[in-house]
Amino acid sequence: MNETTNPLGHTPTPEDIDQHVEPHMMIETVPTKRKIDLVRKFKEERLFAFGVTIVALAIFLAFFGPVISPYDPNFATGNVSVSPPNILDWPGLFIDTVFLGAEPPHWFGTDNSGLDIFSRTISAPRTDLQIALIAALLSMAVGTILGLLAGFFKNFLTEILMRTSDLLQAFPVFITAMILVALSGRSTGNIVVALTIVYMPIFIRLTRAEVLGQMPRGYVEAARAVGNSEFAVAFRHVLPNSLVPSLIQLSTTVGFAILLTSGLSFVGAGVRPPTAEWGLMIALGAPQIILGEWWQSIFPGVAISLTIFGFAAVGHGLEEDYR
Amino acid sequence: MVAETNESTVAGSSTGNILEARDLSVRFPIVDGPDVYAVRNFNLAVKPGEFVGLMGEPGCGKSTAAMAFLGLVRPPGVIESGQVDFLGNDIFKMEEEAARQMRGRDIGMIVQNPRYSLHPMMRVGDQIANVYRAHNDVSKKDAWNHAIDMLRMVGINDPDRRVKAYAHELSSGMAQRVLIAIALSSTPKLLIADEPTSGLDVTIQAQFLDQMWDSCRQTNSAVVLVTQDLGIVANYCDRVVIMHEGTIVEDADVYTFFKSPQHEYSRRILNLQREAQEAGESVLGKIDRNAAPIVEVKDMSKLFPIRASESKVHAAEHVDFELRPGECLGLVGESGSGKTTIGRCVLRLVEPTQGEIIFRDRNIADIRRNEFRKFRGALQIVFQDPLDSLNPRWTVHQVLSEPLKLHTELSGQAKEDRISELLDLVGLEPSMRFALPREMSAGRQQRASIARAIASNPDFIVLDEPTSALTPETTAEIIRLLMDLSAKLGIAYLFISHDLTTVKYICHRVVVLYLGQIVEVGTKDQVFNRPRHPYSRALLASHLFPDTTNRRVDRAVRETLEGEIPSPITENLPKGCYLYGRCPSQVDKCRDMPQELAVLDDGRSVRCWRVAEGDLPEEPAAH
Repeated sequence: MNETTNPLGHTPTPEDIDQHVEPHMMIETVPTKRKIDLVRKFKEERLFAFGVTIVALAIFLAFFGPVISPYDPNFATGNVSVSPPNILDWPGLFIDTVFLGAEPPHWFGTDNSGLDIFSRTISAPRTDLQIALIAALLSMAVGTILGLLAGFFKNFLTEILMRTSDLLQAFPVFITAMILVALSGRSTGNIVVALTIVYMPIFIRLTRAEVLGQMPRGYVEAARAVGNSEFAVAFRHVLPNSLVPSLIQLSTTVGFAILLTSGLSFVGAGVRPPTAEWGLMIALGAPQIILGEWWQSIFPGVAISLTIFGFAAVGHGLEEDYR
Repeated sequence: MVAETNESTVAGSSTGNILEARDLSVRFPIVDGPDVYAVRNFNLAVKPGEFVGLMGEPGCGKSTAAMAFLGLVRPPGVIESGQVDFLGNDIFKMEEEAARQMRGRDIGMIVQNPRYSLHPMMRVGDQIANVYRAHNDVSKKDAWNHAIDMLRMVGINDPDRRVKAYAHELSSGMAQRVLIAIALSSTPKLLIADEPTSGLDVTIQAQFLDQMWDSCRQTNSAVVLVTQDLGIVANYCDRVVIMHEGTIVEDADVYTFFKSPQHEYSRRILNLQREAQEAGESVLGKIDRNAAPIVEVKDMSKLFPIRASESKVHAAEHVDFELRPGECLGLVGESGSGKTTIGRCVLRLVEPTQGEIIFRDRNIADIRRNEFRKFRGALQIVFQDPLDSLNPRWTVHQVLSEPLKLHTELSGQAKEDRISELLDLVGLEPSMRFALPREMSAGRQQRASIARAIASNPDFIVLDEPTSALTPETTAEIIRLLMDLSAKLGIAYLFISHDLTTVKYICHRVVVLYLGQIVEVGTKDQVFNRPRHPYSRALLASHLFPDTTNRRVDRAVRETLEGEIPSPITENLPKGCYLYGRCPSQVDKCRDMPQELAVLDDGRSVRCWRVAEGDLPEEPAAH
């Protein structure tokens, strides 16, 4: 994290020379602040700052996207297959729309049913982010607890759990999710459940590995010696010390869940049209690319990429601080 | 090259010193803070054949100083000023090639952690031969034979076979001896040993140090021994140099040092040890010898199964002992003797395979684990590594609240008051109440750990090597604290330790273990002053007490044990006496004759038929 290095390519940190400074430089007072300074981190790490900005924007649009969109995302305008205006004209058009009250242009064009692409692109996070966030949080909550139990109580039952989770991981997540949705029906609830199931094994594995690493630590035995029940040892002592990898994984998982949600829509196993959803938009626009109507798929595609990148960057940034 | 060295030898001998460090300073630049001087204005002269002990608390710069004698410094440190003359040549001004030639040939270095210092993919013979060939113009074959000779010299059995061994095939004691063989292979004039025996058992430590002492006396090599152990210094060194915060604060010959230490640091350690001993004796006087035992262990065994194998690890076999209220019972033995397992079994942190544990007239060995939890408030433990045994995310306050919640009715203000009282009892500042473990020094961590153990007002605490992760100074403080608590609260301790010095200070009775069996039980006086079992005798003779009246190097016979403790798996265990093969007093009959614990006239128990039948005469202890 510190940019200065000496000519030897080695950054001297206090730990390096710990043995030389320990006794007389030992912390005598207890620090009052123990949290990571996010504001400072935001200023110093550009990638992290970029990720945070995108995530914040995505969350903002999830709440207000449909409200601020110039056209109703699900209502045809009558202007079919309009190409987006020339990028050089955008500032002029912007001024006309906002200050002179002109009819808003179709910034990203319209599709061949006449739906405004821009309105749909900024309204989509409401669907995508909702599904992805709920699914990622659920899979983390359930996966972490199952992983804790699997690592803490190693017995026949938890072995079965682990083999089941291996089996689930053996299939590509996309195929599994598609089958699950196909079997249960195309509803938002079922998509959330399918995503939760496919992402759960990651959290089970991560938490179990961390728990196994914590088990030989002295504080676990000490917690037993104090008189805790096995469940109290597992949930009060081991769990909080095994959460960090899952928390880091969460951000990345949200990104991937967005991709999977769109992917499912793309193949027709996701939300129903005409819901504003990036994958669905790409699917509808894909056949038009050959006709030169590139704008129908490109804009939602860029939106997906940016969002996933944003979540991954946040996860990466946090990981560096916790390891 | 050779001629040049000879000249320098002559030049060096004119001053009479083999090594002279003058005004040496080593600086460590720190990015976000002022630079740290690990060594500052350091002056030291070492004469040929001299054994110098370089002592100090961790972080005082003793290792850095020792490295600087070789002209080396760990990055990012820099040698700021000063000079080191070795045989009259300034090491810092030497050509790099000349300095490299000198290291390994004229100055040998032995470092900590022998296993990591050996190359894992080279046979040890090659490693010794390489160093030898780097400094001597000899053929590969001669170097190989020299390696065998060196291994024989450092006391390795069967050197012709061991020379072909890889590092992982050696025990740490043997690995350490290979390192000394490498260091001595070119008969250096100076040997620098940086805590060479940390982590070794006492019998191995004594074997190793004896070997080093003998080899160096034979070749008239000087030794700079970096250590924290007063016992090593007292028994082997001619001179003591104490460092504090990078500077030398005391430089005295060993007898003067132990008689009248000058610097506050040295005085403090020696005083604390004496105080702890006095506190231990005052508690001893209060114990009611006729009181009913509070904890009684009867015929307890613990066998660990080995996966996919019929044989088992015999961690403890038929162990019997009892503790009276307020008593401190020492459990001593080398690593692998099962002392930690016994401590865990008594608290059922490990389930004993068989046997009874009687606590206040109730057998708690076979009650259900859930029911046992009720007893946890009365039976507590303090662990070896304080940092590891405290939940890293919990403040001291949370740590202390837990036993109070589980075993007492206290809540609200009463609970807060009790926590303040506990902090006060163990000598933790109130400001540490909301500190996390990693924000405290090791001594404070162990105090917090002790506070947790006494929070539920226990009658009995297992102290599982509570001081072995601490510096000598902190050790003395913690021992002192434990004795004060025992005097105030009347807690019985089962004190598990391999450090006989602390056991000697505070324990009332001592149990000596070997391979999971009790070999001798007696009062502190009996075991320490007149041990009877051959193993106890050897163990005590090998232990280095910080006392210069009977130095190990001055003894006519240095009692020790041959070889190393075998691993206690079923097929490894001897049929008869477990000590057979290592025992200095063995006879043929011992091989097939299982030994029983016999009670002697003076009340102690010994597991040796020769002692029981009066076959072995009672002699005063060698140490």
